[in-house]
Amino acid sequence: MPIHRTSHFLQNGARCGTVARRLGVLLLLVAILLPSLSLFAQAPTVTAVLNSSETEVDQPVQLEIRITGDSGAVPPNEIAVDGLDIRYSGQSTQIEGRNLRFTYSFVYAYTILPLKAGTFTIPPQVVRTNSGPLRTPALTLNVSPNDDGTTTSRRGGSSPNSLKDVVFAQLVVRRNTAYVGEVIPVEVRLGFNRRVPAQMGEPPQLKGQGFTVQPLSQPESTIEQINGQTFQVLTYKTAITAARSGKFEIGPAEAKAVVQVPRRGARSRSQFDLFGMDDPFADPFFNAFSGRMEQRIVDLTSNPVTVEAKPLPPKAPASFSGAVGHFSLATEVKPKTAQVGDPLTVTARVSGRGNFDRVSAPVLEDDRGWHTYPPGSNFKADDDLGISGTKTFEMVLTPNEPKKAVPPVLFTFFDPIKEAYVTLKGDQLPVVVEGGTAPSPTPAIASNNLAAPAATARPTAAPKGQDILYQLTDHGRWSQDFIPLFQRPVFWAAQALPLLGLIGFFGWEMRRRRLENREGVRRAAWEQETAELQRKLRHAGEPPDKYFAEALRVVQLKTALATRNRRIEPNMVDAETAVAAFDLPDEKRDRMRELFRRSDEIRYSGRQNGSGTVAEETRREVLELIESLS
Amino acid sequence: MRASIFILSLLAALSLMLGPSALADADATFAKANADYAAGRFPAAIAGYESLVKSRQWNASLFYNLGNAQFRAGDLGRAILNYERALALDPAQPEARANLQLVRDRARALELTPGWVEQHAAYLTRDQDTWLGVIAFWGAAAILAGLHFARRRSVVWIFAFLVLSSIAGGAAFAVYQLETGSAGHDLAIVTSRNIQARLATAESAGTVLLLPPGSEIKILSTRGAWSYAALPNDLRGWIPATSAEPVRL
Repeated sequence: MPIHRTSHFLQNGARCGTVARRLGVLLLLVAILLPSLSLFAQAPTVTAVLNSSETEVDQPVQLEIRITGDSGAVPPNEIAVDGLDIRYSGQSTQIEGRNLRFTYSFVYAYTILPLKAGTFTIPPQVVRTNSGPLRTPALTLNVSPNDDGTTTSRRGGSSPNSLKDVVFAQLVVRRNTAYVGEVIPVEVRLGFNRRVPAQMGEPPQLKGQGFTVQPLSQPESTIEQINGQTFQVLTYKTAITAARSGKFEIGPAEAKAVVQVPRRGARSRSQFDLFGMDDPFADPFFNAFSGRMEQRIVDLTSNPVTVEAKPLPPKAPASFSGAVGHFSLATEVKPKTAQVGDPLTVTARVSGRGNFDRVSAPVLEDDRGWHTYPPGSNFKADDDLGISGTKTFEMVLTPNEPKKAVPPVLFTFFDPIKEAYVTLKGDQLPVVVEGGTAPSPTPAIASNNLAAPAATARPTAAPKGQDILYQLTDHGRWSQDFIPLFQRPVFWAAQALPLLGLIGFFGWEMRRRRLENREGVRRAAWEQETAELQRKLRHAGEPPDKYFAEALRVVQLKTALATRNRRIEPNMVDAETAVAAFDLPDEKRDRMRELFRRSDEIRYSGRQNGSGTVAEETRREVLELIESLS
Repeated sequence: MRASIFILSLLAALSLMLGPSALADADATFAKANADYAAGRFPAAIAGYESLVKSRQWNASLFYNLGNAQFRAGDLGRAILNYERALALDPAQPEARANLQLVRDRARALELTPGWVEQHAAYLTRDQDTWLGVIAFWGAAAILAGLHFARRRSVVWIFAFLVLSSIAGGAAFAVYQLETGSAGHDLAIVTSRNIQARLATAESAGTVLLLPPGSEIKILSTRGAWSYAALPNDLRGWIPATSAEPVRL
């Protein structure tokens, strides 16, 4: 039964849940349908408002047409008013609720750009609804001239815009004629219309041949008004130097930029308005978040410029090294006092504007009595391009005789303004150089500057007051020779000694090996003979003379094999030698001596001892004795 | 046969008689030249020393004293030349080394710069390197022979062989470097004044380097009256062949 009760409760609970769900759905339907019912229950209405009825030329205002109570209403497609540029700019929906009555409004927005000053009336516009056409009220807009008194719009009167109204590249060469080696400042200007968002890619490149180009400086950004348009202009500075005479073409300068243009398919007023410049909605302010723009890579190409490079005049001074420009020279010397042979450092500073890469060290006007060394230099530029600054040379001189001044230094360059070679002459630098005259001639480095850095050959000043050492009276061995040791015959003759020693070593070692080999062969034969004789001795039937002779031979062979170092021949072995070789005990010694005695007896007596065969016991004793020899 | 034996015997006897006599003459000439030098008669001293040089009675002291005499006579180029010759015969002679440095500074003579390898090879003299190389070579050869016949080859002996072989090879390389380097057999000293190395074999050719007397050069080749030489500062140029004398006679 509890189960039945539980089931009853479950059935009641399920029934209650179903009722609640139905109520919830009903309330939801009411909540959804009630506003709709209330919306469609009312007649649709249309209103039109301006966010401002007062404005200036080129200052846009917003027009809103609000339609309430009809979601299918069609707003006016175009609103045409002379002097006003009115464009549709979007739609939004508003919901208002009062006492559980919800009202839906559809707002259609238009941007009005006044093109000229005056009072304008926007006539009633027809809005088609499900309930029939409705009309907006007429609106009045007062347009006054803008701040600078302009009564007509710049936008309205502009010609159809093109790429050059958006971006441009310009190559500015300050001079059309120059001398070879003269530095010509060049500017590359890249302009971007401020109404078009743009981003610069790689720095521009300058094309052309016959001249060298300095690296481009960092761009300077300025805002400029060009043909009524506002441009951001990036200016890159550089300098070119003609490498040869004649006419050559500089440029064009080329660059790439990324600009944002209205996305394809977006509404544009004019087919020529590629970049939406006449469209207030193309302004970045309006389109930053609208997603109506896309990026496009634009090639910027400037106009080329022709420059004529004139050759330098002939008969250049000998000290001219190719410097062209305008320079000044300053010199100083340190130290002011020195001894003959002591180094002095002359510092020459060449300042100005020109091709500093061709500015070489000034030269002494008169280098007699001076020893000069190749100078060192460094350059400090005053601009980004390195065409103006100061190049400092440090020249080391050593006086070869007493001097009162360092002669002035000369620096020659070509001045393109004066169109003549100019030789600057430094001051005569007073110094006090004391001491005796050095014996060597003046300059060590030839005048054609072929010498390498003189550090390795730089002589040091002679110690003052120092003299050479004494004469030697002990002459040593006479007839010494300059010939190196390895070129003397006696040296090579002496090598015969170790060579002979080595050859002797080889010969001795090879002979020893050969002998060792021969000894080994002989011992192997002995061992083989021993084994063979022992095998015979084990078998009966041998006559006594032969048996004892073979037994004696085995003993002699074993003794000879045992005495490896003494090299005893088997035939020379007697009983005492065998006893000593094997260090036998007394009992075996006697048997050994008996063996030799009997063998000799049989061999020399010429008769056999006893019967025709050796007794078994004797044979066993002999075998034991022989086998014990090891 | 008898005649030839007689002639050989006669020559041997003459050499035995003249040998000590020649050496005695050399001693006397050397002593006299020293006396002339001490008395300030430098030209006479130079003549005495040079007579010994011509008779090939060479030693380091002779060239050193000759260098001193030429320094006193004001010929710095030849003074440097003879100090160099003294050092070529006896590289350890301290007097010649000291005077060479002094006179070279006075003359502002330029020196050839030895290369890095040559600088390190000069740790030993050329003859010392030769001896070292020979001893190491024969030692290595002996060990190699022993290893060849040995029943068991010891690692120690193999290592010793490698070490000695390396020493022999290094010594041979050092000898080669010293012989062909800046102080090698082609070293010469400029003895004339106002010598300019030129780009070609003509007095009108462009100059490369002015060589003070006593400057070191290395004769590379000779063409007629001109010698092509390696100069200080890693330069090359032509100089009159008579303006420089080789250090080694």
